[in-house]
Amino acid sequence: MPRLPTQFRSMPVQLALALVALFTMVSLISLGATYLITQRSFQQAMQADLTQDMAGFRAAPNALALAQLVEAEAQATDPERMVLSYLAPNRRHFGNAMISRDEDGYHILTGIPDNPLIEGQYMSLTASMRGGHLTIARNLREINALRDVFLRVLGLSLVPTVLIALSGGLYLSRRSARHVATISGTLGHLTSGDLTARVGPTKHWPADLSAIARKIDTMAHAQQESMTAIQQVSSDIAHDLKTPIQRVAVHLSDLSQQPELQGPSQDLLGKAKEELDGIVSVFHALLQIARIETGSPKANFERIDLSQLCETLTELYEPAASEAEHILTFQRVDASNIAVNGDKGLLGQLLANLIENAIRHTPRGTCIIVNLTRKGDHPTLTVTDNGPGVPQAERDLVLRRLYRMDRSRTSPGTGLGLSLVNSIASLHDAEISLTDASPGLCVSIVFTPIGTSERL
Amino acid sequence: MKLLVVEDDETTGSYIARGLREEGHRVDLVTSGRDALIQGTSAQYDVLIVDRMVPEVDGMTLVKTLRGAGNRTPVLFLTSLGSVEDRIEGLRAGGDDYLVKPFAFGELSARVAALARRAQSVEQETILEVADLKMDLIARRVTRDGIEIPLLPREFALLEHLLRRKGRVQTRTMLLEAVWDISFDPATNVVETHISRLRGKIDRPFKTELIHTVRGSGYRIDA
Repeated sequence: MPRLPTQFRSMPVQLALALVALFTMVSLISLGATYLITQRSFQQAMQADLTQDMAGFRAAPNALALAQLVEAEAQATDPERMVLSYLAPNRRHFGNAMISRDEDGYHILTGIPDNPLIEGQYMSLTASMRGGHLTIARNLREINALRDVFLRVLGLSLVPTVLIALSGGLYLSRRSARHVATISGTLGHLTSGDLTARVGPTKHWPADLSAIARKIDTMAHAQQESMTAIQQVSSDIAHDLKTPIQRVAVHLSDLSQQPELQGPSQDLLGKAKEELDGIVSVFHALLQIARIETGSPKANFERIDLSQLCETLTELYEPAASEAEHILTFQRVDASNIAVNGDKGLLGQLLANLIENAIRHTPRGTCIIVNLTRKGDHPTLTVTDNGPGVPQAERDLVLRRLYRMDRSRTSPGTGLGLSLVNSIASLHDAEISLTDASPGLCVSIVFTPIGTSERL
Repeated sequence: MKLLVVEDDETTGSYIARGLREEGHRVDLVTSGRDALIQGTSAQYDVLIVDRMVPEVDGMTLVKTLRGAGNRTPVLFLTSLGSVEDRIEGLRAGGDDYLVKPFAFGELSARVAALARRAQSVEQETILEVADLKMDLIARRVTRDGIEIPLLPREFALLEHLLRRKGRVQTRTMLLEAVWDISFDPATNVVETHISRLRGKIDRPFKTELIHTVRGSGYRIDA
């Protein structure tokens, strides 16, 4: 279940875990202290008992009487509860077990050495008496049982706490996870350009999340408004400029119909038409870049067979390339077709611009290779030529709008080709890089695999 | 053909109308969406040429309304915007084709002819021919004067497209859309190079040329 770790990292569960840890610590300290105090007092009581037992034996007038007393007492005593051992001066032993201790005082014994049947811990008191050593030991079972009782109490109080706190935390996190998912989904849509996305009504939501949701919706609304305004302005500009451009085209066309027009005038007319075409293509490209950068074409994304697109485009440009004395080839590495999620028209334009760029800015005899492969999971498109290349310092600049290298100022082109490629690539969440093909330039575009792009 | 032009810019509108009249069509020109709605519902037209941004009722609403009323007349949209979404939006509203301003008259004329033709029934032919050039669509064989001409698949498709529209001009963008399924305008004249290769195979070795260049517009196959 891959969801579990994320859920355990959610805030409510983290808080619950922290509370459990704190509660456990406090319980351990308080129960531990109580246990230690209780144990101490039980031990002291036992020591008092032992001292009293010992005092009873001191009444015996001599070693023999003491031995008899011990024997009599031992007969009546269960060694599991209490052990009596008297080592007489003649090294004879009396009692229900043999404990050969000769230093006086309290000791803790584990098992009775001579009697493997008797197990467990004992507290013993040894005293020199009538030339021998008398040891009385009482079983510590009761005191040790105390530890089990305390451990059980600790367990009984901890288990429900942990269960309640954790399940409460999980429940809360599951509930807020839904809200958090709604919020992050909305943000994802907004980032990918769908400005109509909203978190929506937040009834029954926690106040803090609901406040965040409302803020996001307000922000998205404002952004949508300003985007609509920008789009309105750009479509107005487009309309207001296109109409006069269309008129100029009409006038030029009418002019070219004039029969009295002489050779030089015809040439001028041709030049004017060419310039007009140039204006139109710059205008188109700028409008297109602006539209792409607002992210709106993402709504039309679909599965695109990149292999087929590469094949079509190389086939389309091959005769033009060979006319310009270039060699254009498509190298497909994978036998299976490679697909990406995208806009077919824009991806075609991207490839066309890369190929046109390579044809336009390289001398005759240059080889241009379109290559499509996978780098790991990532579909990777490269267009490589063995022409003069682009100096390291200018590689970032050529992706900018209207940037033209000094040596290409005289060749045709809008200076927007690569910046359009750049915007199309970033619309598709693809990574574009320009590297040295020594000699030549290699433009590579690394796409995101299908299914992993956007969609949180 | 009877055509209705809906265009609010006078220069462009009269230019279109004049050009189409010169080609022998009957043309009505209106400058607002409201007038277009009245004209479009009261008279029968072969093709409507509609600017997307006209006053009163905009082009999109106009076409949606006409389509809603059961009017199936082919519509060619004229637009200042040229983005893909814009195009899709127009086609979804019921437009049949799309032309971005500024356009050459040849492009408009060729597209209007194609739209009018599309509205008629499509014949199922297996042999296409012009003069001594024959294309067998089943055997996928092309012969001229009895000599077989080997063609690449794309050359075959290009020739088939021209032959199916014998005598009618096909512009470069129309060919790009139909043969390569490409909807943007490449800066390099790629279609010209393909036509030139095709000519090298079917025209140059023979006496008469069949593929004709129509200046400022495109290409046409004819005897």
